[in-house]
Amino acid sequence: MAKNLSGDLTVASANRLADGAVVFLDDKGCWTRHLESAALARDKQGAEILLARAKAESFPVVDPFLVAVTEDGQGALEPVSLREKIRVSGLTFAAIAAEAVRYA
Amino acid sequence: MPDTHFYHYDDFDRTLVAERVEQFRDQVRRRLAGELTEEQFKPLRLTNGLYLQLHAYMLRIAIPYGTLSTRQLRQLAAIARKYDKGYGHFTTRQNLQLNWIKLEDAPDAVAMLAEVDMHSIQTSGNVVRNTTADHFAGAAADEIEDPRVWCEIVRQWSTLHPEFSFLPRKFKIAITGSPNDRAAVRIHDVGLRLWRNPQGETGFEVIVGGGLGRTPMIGKTVREFLPKDEMLAYLEAVLRVYNRYGRRDNLFKARIKILVHEIGIEKMREEVEAEYAASKDGALKLDPQTIEAIARQFAPPPLPHRPAIAGEVERLKLEEPDFALWLKSNTAPHKMAGYRVVTASLKPAGAPPGDASSVQMEGVADVADAYSQSEVRVSHEQNLVLPHVAVEDLPAVYRALGRLGFAEANVGKITDIIACPGLDYCALANARSIPVAQRISNHFANLAQQHDIGDLKIKISGCINACGHHHVGHIGILGVDKNGVELYQISLGGDVDFGRTALGDIIGPAVGADRIVEAVDALVRTYLDRRDAGERFVDTYRRLGVEPFKESVYAAV
Repeated sequence: MAKNLSGDLTVASANRLADGAVVFLDDKGCWTRHLESAALARDKQGAEILLARAKAESFPVVDPFLVAVTEDGQGALEPVSLREKIRVSGLTFAAIAAEAVRYA
Repeated sequence: MPDTHFYHYDDFDRTLVAERVEQFRDQVRRRLAGELTEEQFKPLRLTNGLYLQLHAYMLRIAIPYGTLSTRQLRQLAAIARKYDKGYGHFTTRQNLQLNWIKLEDAPDAVAMLAEVDMHSIQTSGNVVRNTTADHFAGAAADEIEDPRVWCEIVRQWSTLHPEFSFLPRKFKIAITGSPNDRAAVRIHDVGLRLWRNPQGETGFEVIVGGGLGRTPMIGKTVREFLPKDEMLAYLEAVLRVYNRYGRRDNLFKARIKILVHEIGIEKMREEVEAEYAASKDGALKLDPQTIEAIARQFAPPPLPHRPAIAGEVERLKLEEPDFALWLKSNTAPHKMAGYRVVTASLKPAGAPPGDASSVQMEGVADVADAYSQSEVRVSHEQNLVLPHVAVEDLPAVYRALGRLGFAEANVGKITDIIACPGLDYCALANARSIPVAQRISNHFANLAQQHDIGDLKIKISGCINACGHHHVGHIGILGVDKNGVELYQISLGGDVDFGRTALGDIIGPAVGADRIVEAVDALVRTYLDRRDAGERFVDTYRRLGVEPFKESVYAAV
C-alpha cells in the first residue's frame, strides 16, 4: 500500500552526460542507476535542498530535476507518473534484438 | 565507379561533411571535459541530429529523399550494431533514428556515416530539414519526372544556408513527381508537385503552409505553375517572407502554416511574388547544365528486358494465397514492363512499426543487391522499398523478405500502421504509441481479413506534435495524458494519399488504453456492416458521417 500518492515525496533524477542513462542522486551526492538508492526528500523544503544539491553535483549529468515518487510499506520507491516509471523500468515492449532476423 | 543510380558526393560535399565531423568531435570532447555547459552544447548537438531522449541520446540520420544504396544501408546496420543496440527506427520523414547512442560514441558514429556520404546535419533545429520525396521516385509507372533531382538541388542549396540557419521554426519540404501524390506534399511547410501544363511543359505547383502538429493545416497553392529552373529562386522568396514575418514570440505559432493562416494565402502570394520578382533572374536561376549534371546522376539503372508475365509467379499465385495477397498489396507498377516496385513491410504482426535490426537491414541490402539494382528506399509510411524488381524474381524476393519477416502482405492495410516512438522513447510524448500499434496489429493479424477490410490507414501519435501523422489517418489515434492516465483520442476521415488530403474529425471523448483495440474493432465492424461495394473505410465514413461509427465505439468501450 502506497504511503503517499500526492507526490510530496521526491527524488532527484537526470540523464548521465556520457550516455544519457537515467540516474538518481543518492545520499552521498553520487549519481546512481538505481532508484532504490536515491536520496528521498519528504517535504517541499527537503525537495528544494535535494534539487540544489543535484544541481551542485551536475557535472556528470544533464539537467537534474525532481521526480515525484511513492513509497510502499517496505520502503520501495515508485515514480508517480507513467513517464518516470518508463524512465526507471525501460521500454514497455520487447525491442528487436541486434541479431534477430524476425521480430518475436 | 559510383555504386548508385542517384547523386553521389563530390569533393565539396565530402569536405563539408568531414569538416563537420571533426567540429562535432571537438564539441563533444569539450562538453565531456566540462569546457562547454549543456546550454552551450545543446544547440551544437541538435544541429548534428543528436537529441537527448528519455533513456539515452538519439541520433537522427538524414536519408536524403529516402534513397539508400545497399552500401549505405549496410553501414547504417554496422553503426547500429557497433554504437547502438543493433536496431534502428525508420521515421515518417524517411530518416533513421538510433535510440541508444552514447555521447562519447556519437562522433565516431557520424564519422562512419561520412564514410558512405551520409550525415545527420540539419535533422533538428529551426532550419530546412531533410527534403522528402515519393518513395517510388524513379520507378513509378505514373511518374512524370524523378523528383529526387529537385530534392538534391534543394539539399545542396539549403545545407548550412547562412540566411536560413535561424528560421522562426523548423521547415520541411516534400516533392512529388507523380500525379498520385505519395509524398504527402500538402502537409509540409512547402510541397512541390511536378505536373505538366496544357502546353506540355513540366513545372511545379508550389504549396505552402501545410503541417500537422498542434494546429493542423492543409497547404495552399501559392503558385499554380512554376518553371522548374525557377524553383530555387522561388523557394528562397518563400523562405525570406517566412523568415521576415514568421512569429518568433510564440513557439506554437512559429511555423509557416500559422503565417499563411493569419495573413491569408492572397497576401502570402503577394509577398512571395514581390520578393521573387526582385531576385528571379539572379544567381539562383538554375542553368540547364547544372540541372542536367544532377539529373544525369539520377539516370535510371540499365534494366535489361525481362518478361512481363512469369510462369512461376502465376503458379505461386494459385498455390500460395499469401503470395497472391502480397503481389496485390506489396508490389506496384513500374515504369518499365517486366518490373515491379516492391515494398518490404516493416510491420509484421505485433512488431514496432518501422523498426529493423542490423541483421534485417543487411538482409534487405542482400535482397536489393541480388534483385533491385542495389537500391533501397525508405517510405514515409515506415517501410522499405525495392524499386526495381523483375517480375520473374518476385517469388525469390518474396521468400527472401519472408525470411527477414518483411513479407507481410499488409501494405496499405489495417496493420500497416504508422506510429511515432511515443512515450517509450520520446521526451516530448504524453502516451505510448508502439504498444498500441502492436496490440492493434496482433488483433487484425489475419491477412485474409485485412484484405477483406481493404485499404485502411491507422496513424498513431504519442503527443500533439503528430510525428505519427494521426490527423491524416483514416483512423487517427492521439495519445493524451489526463491526470497521469494514458487516454487515446480517435479521429476519423483523415487522408493524405493521391491528393485527397483531409484532416480527420475527432469523434468524442478519448478512450482508455485498455479499450483502444475494442474501439478500432468497433469502427471496422461498422464499416464492414455498412459499406457499399468498392468503398474504402474512409469512403464509407464520408458517406455516412461520424454518428454510426461514434455509436459503435462508445458502445464497445
